[in-house]
Amino acid sequence: MGYRKLFSYGVPIIVFALVPLFTRSPYYLGIFITTGINVILAMSFIMMLRTGLISLAISAFFGLGAYASALLVTKSGMSFWLSLPASVLMVSVVALIVGAVCVRNAGFTFLLITMVFGMLIPVTLGNISIVGGYSGISPIPPPNPITIPFLARIVFMSKTPYYYLIMGLVLIVIVAFWALYSSWLGEAWRAIGLTESLAKSVGIDVYRHRLLTFVIASGADALAGAFYASYVGTVTPIDMGVFKSIYVHIYAILGGVEFAVLGPMVGSFIMTFVPEFLRIARDVEPIITGVFMMLLILLLPRGVLGLMLSTTAAARPSESIAGINRILMQWLMPKRRHEGGRGAGNQRIE
Amino acid sequence: MLSQMVVNGVAIGLVYIVLATGLVLILSVTRILYIAYGSLYMIGAFTLWSGIALLQLPFLLSLLIATSVTTLLASASYHILFRHVLRRPKPLLAVVVGAVALMMVLDQAGILIFGSVPRGLSPLISGTVDIFGASISLEKLFIMATALVIAACLFYVYEKTDIGRIMRAVAFNAETASLQGINTNVVNLVTLGIGGALAGIAGGVMAPAYGVFPAMGGNIILFIMLVVMLGGMDSMAGAVLAGLICGVTQSVGQFFFGGLSQALVFAVIGVIIYFRPGGLLGSGVQLEV
Repeated sequence: MGYRKLFSYGVPIIVFALVPLFTRSPYYLGIFITTGINVILAMSFIMMLRTGLISLAISAFFGLGAYASALLVTKSGMSFWLSLPASVLMVSVVALIVGAVCVRNAGFTFLLITMVFGMLIPVTLGNISIVGGYSGISPIPPPNPITIPFLARIVFMSKTPYYYLIMGLVLIVIVAFWALYSSWLGEAWRAIGLTESLAKSVGIDVYRHRLLTFVIASGADALAGAFYASYVGTVTPIDMGVFKSIYVHIYAILGGVEFAVLGPMVGSFIMTFVPEFLRIARDVEPIITGVFMMLLILLLPRGVLGLMLSTTAAARPSESIAGINRILMQWLMPKRRHEGGRGAGNQRIE
Repeated sequence: MLSQMVVNGVAIGLVYIVLATGLVLILSVTRILYIAYGSLYMIGAFTLWSGIALLQLPFLLSLLIATSVTTLLASASYHILFRHVLRRPKPLLAVVVGAVALMMVLDQAGILIFGSVPRGLSPLISGTVDIFGASISLEKLFIMATALVIAACLFYVYEKTDIGRIMRAVAFNAETASLQGINTNVVNLVTLGIGGALAGIAGGVMAPAYGVFPAMGGNIILFIMLVVMLGGMDSMAGAVLAGLICGVTQSVGQFFFGGLSQALVFAVIGVIIYFRPGGLLGSGVQLEV
């Protein structure tokens, strides 16, 4: 790992790690935490979009993860640190079953089936009295304190530990997704996204790859959901309406769906912070957001980061940490053009 | 008791039919997943309410105004928003987001303009009749008749007239249709106009019997989507059949299973769609988007 690379990965991590020192107000830290959750969801959405699946079940798996974790913690007294991976595993199994059924038809039918699933989950959970019905599960205890040797004992009382926790989770998801994208799996997914029939013709099992992205993405959703449950301390079926999925789409589109990692981060930041500031305009806020969404798909179909791509370059569905790296370098050191990094290839940044 | 529930189910199912056939028309001709359709229905109902309650206009004139308002809104949304989005290579995601944005704007505008208080209207016709031991108000009978007439008209226009033939050509393949000299842009605009008019009529006719409130659009659109999926996305006959099935199932299931009936309906529809991705009467051809 070169010096430049280390620099461009290290700086954002340090900047984000220092955020709690500068924002004393728990309110802003709370927005940062919400942004972290949204980043994970939007990245999972882009992963599915890579293989041509537009899912409206993101919120459903998010909610299932939250419920699974909340039930494990409250009913069986499991520690949060165990229930987090356990709920991810459980939801992944559910996603495997659901995905095996619905991934077979991509495009419109997949969209509609996931929409049905996305509507089914809140209604079902709302009508099962064991899990609390529409009033949900509460209170969910915060994660157990953990001790870092020689450093400190972290107690989840204020928002700061939660902030570091979600930052760690986002980092884990980024690294995992990046590893997937840069492996042969990622190449296969890109091929499917570009031309399904061509991918089939060279021997890629489209169905299995789609199923795999569906399961991995749903697992990531569940991770975010499990965190959310412990962070907020209560889960209700209302948290997982289909509209949440649409919002996740917006985060991804706003950042640019061609950017698998950086796009969700930029999009979630803008879409989480701006509506918070628009809270002043309480009643008009949905109208402003709606108009903003329309303008977005009309004027910026490739997202904010798409502006950085040259207009002539063909839309490439792959852009990962290598993209962040190059854009950051471009921004930090504009004089010299930074070459290299995986997948730099035919794409230039003008 | 059972016949009462079935009759109520048919009454509500017929309103679903009007909206579902409109949505099928939009979906099959323009390929727009018009999620904002429920909001148009709500706006139609509220316009009718303001016409009658605020401006003291007669019912038919108010209905006309409501219909024109929703027609204009739907056409305008195509001209301003969807026309540009549909031109792109893979428009599905952008179309869905655009339609949801439209829904958010319209719903919130409804709350801002008309307030979030549910409004009622005095019934147009009072009195009940007995059918097969079930009593039904003349009001609902009027709604059912109107819905049937509208659905029949739409069916006739779509299957028998020149406009309908042009629409079917665009629905079959927009590119081929444009090679035959059909201006697909205008056809899409007209289709959305007709769809909007149907939503306005449905909202206006429903308003006196079922009340008017801003959330009515969001509540009904999910169900309409289900009806459309069940019936088949490119089949109006399927929408009619599925509308009746869903209406009756909802009415009867509510009695036996309570709130869980909705979940059951969803699950059953999910299973049906798995085995018949095109819906009950759909052609099974995947809509290309």
